[in-house]
Amino acid sequence: MNKQILTVTKKEIKDNVRDKKSLISSIFMGAVFMPIFFVIFINFMINTQKDKAEAQLEIAITGSENAQSFMSFVKSKGIKIKPFNGDPKKAIESKAEEAVIIIPKSFGEKFSKGLPAKIEVYYDATAKGATNVTQRRIKSVIQEYSQTIGMTRLQLRGISPILMRAVIVEDHDVSTSQAKGAQFLMILPYALILGLFMGSMYLAIDTMAGEKERNSLESLLLNPIKRSHLLIGKLLATISFGLMTMVITLIVFKMVMPLMPFEKMGMTIDLGVKNLTILALVLAPLAVLAASLQTIVATFSKSFKEAQTYVGILIIVPMIPSMALMFLPVKEKLWMMSIPVLSQNLIINQIIRGEQVATMSIIVTIIGSLFIGLLLALAAIKLYNRESLLFSK
Amino acid sequence: MIEVKAISKSFGDVQAVKEVTFTAPNNQVTALLGANGAGKTTSLRMIYSLISPDSGQVLIDGIDPKKQPEEARKLLGVLPDTRGLYLRLTARENITYFGELHGMNEADIKTRTDSLVKDLRMEDFIDRKTEGFSQGQRVKVAIARALIHDPKNIILDEPTNGLDVMSTRGVRKFLNKEKERGKCILFSSHVMQEVSAVSDEILVVHDGIVCASGSEAELQQQSGQSNLEDAFVHIVTNGEGHE
Repeated sequence: MNKQILTVTKKEIKDNVRDKKSLISSIFMGAVFMPIFFVIFINFMINTQKDKAEAQLEIAITGSENAQSFMSFVKSKGIKIKPFNGDPKKAIESKAEEAVIIIPKSFGEKFSKGLPAKIEVYYDATAKGATNVTQRRIKSVIQEYSQTIGMTRLQLRGISPILMRAVIVEDHDVSTSQAKGAQFLMILPYALILGLFMGSMYLAIDTMAGEKERNSLESLLLNPIKRSHLLIGKLLATISFGLMTMVITLIVFKMVMPLMPFEKMGMTIDLGVKNLTILALVLAPLAVLAASLQTIVATFSKSFKEAQTYVGILIIVPMIPSMALMFLPVKEKLWMMSIPVLSQNLIINQIIRGEQVATMSIIVTIIGSLFIGLLLALAAIKLYNRESLLFSK
Repeated sequence: MIEVKAISKSFGDVQAVKEVTFTAPNNQVTALLGANGAGKTTSLRMIYSLISPDSGQVLIDGIDPKKQPEEARKLLGVLPDTRGLYLRLTARENITYFGELHGMNEADIKTRTDSLVKDLRMEDFIDRKTEGFSQGQRVKVAIARALIHDPKNIILDEPTNGLDVMSTRGVRKFLNKEKERGKCILFSSHVMQEVSAVSDEILVVHDGIVCASGSEAELQQQSGQSNLEDAFVHIVTNGEGHE
């Protein structure tokens, strides 16, 4: 390769590696913070659900004296009864109680006559996480009690309780354990692509708008080097930072995987050498695309600050397909692999679900992303050749 | 040698430079003297082919920068109006970067840098990062990086702008030394003493045209004034006098 191009690349890398603050913010935030945040977040989510499901349930009950046999049933299920006197609505609104059961005075009378006896359950259906678990458990205990009594009554009248079950449901869950984990890993494609964009963002700004703001551009252009070579040199430096951040992100993810509570959830994620290689292969062409896109935007900016704003907005680009796929799951088709960012998302999701990634998908992804990336690089070179480049300040 | 043949440049409706013609020979310091906005920087930028003229031609040692931009740039050393340095690099690294872009090898860069450090008195700060450098230190580094390839033709846009007396004298001394080495030196300035102190030939630029040229004595004689400042005012106001 042209020696001058490498001179420019080497200088830009050296210059920007010395900028510790930006280096830490782009690499740390992009590559290290996201995976660690991810582990903490998922551990927290899974543990609270699990803890609540296993913890001893304590129910606030008003009028427990009205239903002695129900109370002994509840106690036999290992649930503690907390007598409650007050306004159930207020108690739930103020989050003092997650749910309140009220047994009306008429319960015993209706119960002994064999009529449906009413139990009122107060809860907040919009509440999240652990509270939801409590409600579900209360309702299932009541349901179970109701069925037990109902069946006893039928048997006493000489009717087989089997008649009550006209249809029975048998569950066959065919999702793999990886697929169950998939919903928790939805964030992974976004984290990987975001890391790559963040890694190259700062260099794109510094090598374009920074050169203008520092007033060093004019002197630089007076050297006997073609402008296209100058820009290629700068782009290579920008791309290399994107690639570096991507590789670090993958390594950090690999390192934090053992800290994920996958066993608790009964699932496994395969981030072995083969899958890591596939990830690196399909993400690498995206570095060319990200760097070129960011460089183009930075070329138009008059100052460092302006460039930061506009290039920052570009981070939305990798968010669009990631977000869309979270809400609108699609079946991968080969043509989709030619669309950059979307294809990387699809392939990462396949890996998370434990599916085999087709070699053709990988090839189409690499070619598709590289093609768009190189087109953008050409556009950046064209823009850099304009005379007005100097005067947009 | 720099030959300028009837170059013109417009920005929108404003014609910044109109048919400027002159020759800056080797072994001589040629000055473009003019007020701010007279068209000096635009003329120089066309000469060092940062922007291309709407019409006219420039020849650097016989080479047309329009046809052979890289070849022409090799023959030129330019200190432009904007002379920012890379603040996270040391002065030496700034200079070395430009040397490498000129295709020089490590040994040649080292030798040439050492001689520039000596001539421009940069010993104290050559290996320091340029962040926080004084104006004078910055200009010296900018001159050194522009001349790292020891070009035959040197162009400087307001070289001593913002420098203190000591730095100004240092730069002047350096330019005189380069002239004695046979270089063609072309610089622009709006400071009379500056032009008076170093130039052999003065071109008075006003409103985008060269309205007078000659040595300091010749300009005084042409305008009938006793010093360069009065001669300049007389020339640019068409003899209508002061202010």
